[in-house]
Amino acid sequence: MLAIEYFEVECPEPSGAAYYKQITNVVLLDHNLLRVIHKLHVYIDPKVPIFIAVGILKKITTRVRVGDFANVNPLEGKITLVISDETYLAPMLKIFWQKFGKDHVEQPDRFTVILYDIRVDPQELEDIIVADPSESLYNDLIYAFRLIAPEGFRIRSEIFSNEKFSFVASENPLPENINAIIRDKFALMGEVP
Amino acid sequence: MTLVPITYKGGIYQHDIIIDLIEDLGGYIVQKHVIAAEVVLQCFVPRDDIALIRQITKPLFGEVTDSPLVGTEIAIVSMSLEIHHLPHPSCDIAEYVRRIGAKSNMVSLARGPGKRIAGLNDEERDVINEHDIAVYLLGNFETCIEYKMPTLRRGIDVPIVVCGGPDKEILKKIINPPVEGYVGNVGRFMHRTKESDELEKLDEVIAEITRVLEKKREAISKDPLSVSPARLMDLIKEHVPAIHEVTSPTPLTVQMTGLRVKLPYDTFAADMRNIEIEDGITLGDVCDVVPSRMRDYILLKILPFSETNTVI
Repeated sequence: MLAIEYFEVECPEPSGAAYYKQITNVVLLDHNLLRVIHKLHVYIDPKVPIFIAVGILKKITTRVRVGDFANVNPLEGKITLVISDETYLAPMLKIFWQKFGKDHVEQPDRFTVILYDIRVDPQELEDIIVADPSESLYNDLIYAFRLIAPEGFRIRSEIFSNEKFSFVASENPLPENINAIIRDKFALMGEVP
Repeated sequence: MTLVPITYKGGIYQHDIIIDLIEDLGGYIVQKHVIAAEVVLQCFVPRDDIALIRQITKPLFGEVTDSPLVGTEIAIVSMSLEIHHLPHPSCDIAEYVRRIGAKSNMVSLARGPGKRIAGLNDEERDVINEHDIAVYLLGNFETCIEYKMPTLRRGIDVPIVVCGGPDKEILKKIINPPVEGYVGNVGRFMHRTKESDELEKLDEVIAEITRVLEKKREAISKDPLSVSPARLMDLIKEHVPAIHEVTSPTPLTVQMTGLRVKLPYDTFAADMRNIEIEDGITLGDVCDVVPSRMRDYILLKILPFSETNTVI
C-alpha cells in the first residue's frame, strides 16, 4: 500500500496515532502525493497541543514536453500536431504564440494544432518543455498537511526546501525550542534538517 | 391507542389504498417520498393494527418495517464546516439516520474545532436545544475531548450522544458528568464509510441513538403529551393552506414533543394559536407557540398532561 521508505506517526495516545496514520495515508493518497515522499515522520501531542510533520522528498523530474502528448507530423511546409491529452494544450499554445507568432499557429479543432511557415526541426519541437507539475508541489504538500493536521491549529510554520520539509501547526504560539524539536524528529529518520 | 412508528415501502401502484387505510385506522403519515416507481411512507399507526396493515399490503408486495426514529428530529453536531469533518464522517452519519426515518439536521459550530479555542455560542446552543437529541461528533484525542466537552455541552438540555475516536470505556471515563450515550471508535476520518466494519460502526451509532430516544419516550409516557405531534401536523395541514406552498422537503417536521412549522412566525403565529382542535380547545391551550432560532420558523412545544390537565 505504501511506497514510502519510512512512515511513522508518533503520539502519546496510541489510538490517536493509529487514526492519524490512516488519515495521513488517505489524504496523501487522495492528493497523489505518496509518490513524491521518501520519508515522513508525523508527531502530534494533543496536550501541548502541537502537530509536526517532517520528511524527505523524492527527486522527481516530471517535465512535460510536447512530444509526450502530441504527435508531430511535418508535411509540405506545415507541421500538424495531433494532441492526445488536452491537459497541457493551453500552456503549449501560449508558448507557440510567443515563439512563432499568432499568425503561424492555427487550431482547427480540439485535438489538432497546425503550424504554418516555420523553420524548425520536428525533433526540436517535440523537446519543448510545456509544463513542470513539480512547481506546484510545495503548494500541494502544504495544502495536504493543513488537511491532515487537527483543525483549529491555525498558527503554522512551514519550511520547504529542495528535498526536506517541515510543517508545524498549533493553536497556541509555537514553543521557542521548535527548531530543536524538528531536529530531533529528523534524527529519528536518520536525517538532519 | 398507542401509536408506533413504522416505514412502509412498496410500489406506487395502489399506494393510495395504504394511505387511506392508515388514516382510517387513526394513524398519521409523517413523510411520503415517491422515488421513481417506489413509495416510502413514514407513519405512526396503532400498535394493534400493524398485522392488519401487513395483511392488506401483502398482495401489493409492500413491506412494513419498524423504524423507531420516525417522528424524531436529530441534531448532528459537527465541529466545523471544514473539509476536516465533512463530508466524512458527519454526512455519513446524518444520512444514515435519515435512512431509518429520522429527520436529521447538521449543526456546525462556528468555533468548534481545536482544544483551548473551542466554544459554543448562544444561537448554536438554542438551535441544538430545539431538537430531540444531539449527536456530538468529536475527534480522535481523549485529551481534547476531555478538555472541550464541558464547554460544548454548556446549556444543552437535550440528551447527548457522544461519538469519538477513543474506546467507549475511555469516553465514559473522561466525560464528567456523564452524557446519555457513547459510541467509541468513530472519530475523525477522511474516507467514505463503505467497509463492513465501518458500516457496523454506523449501526452502533443508530443503536445508541435509538436506545437513548426509547428512554426519552419512556419518560414522556409517564407524563403524556396533551396532544400527539402527528395529530397537530394533520390539523395544521388542514387549517393553514399556506403550508402547502412551502418548498422545504419537510414543511412540518414532527418531533417527539413538538412540531417545527416552516412558516414565518410573525405572520402565522397568532392564527395558529387560535386553531381549534376539539371541543373548544385551541392549539394555544395545549402548546407553547414560540419563534424558532432556525430562520424565522415557528416551534410548537406541546405541554404535558400535568400542565394542561387535558389529553385530546
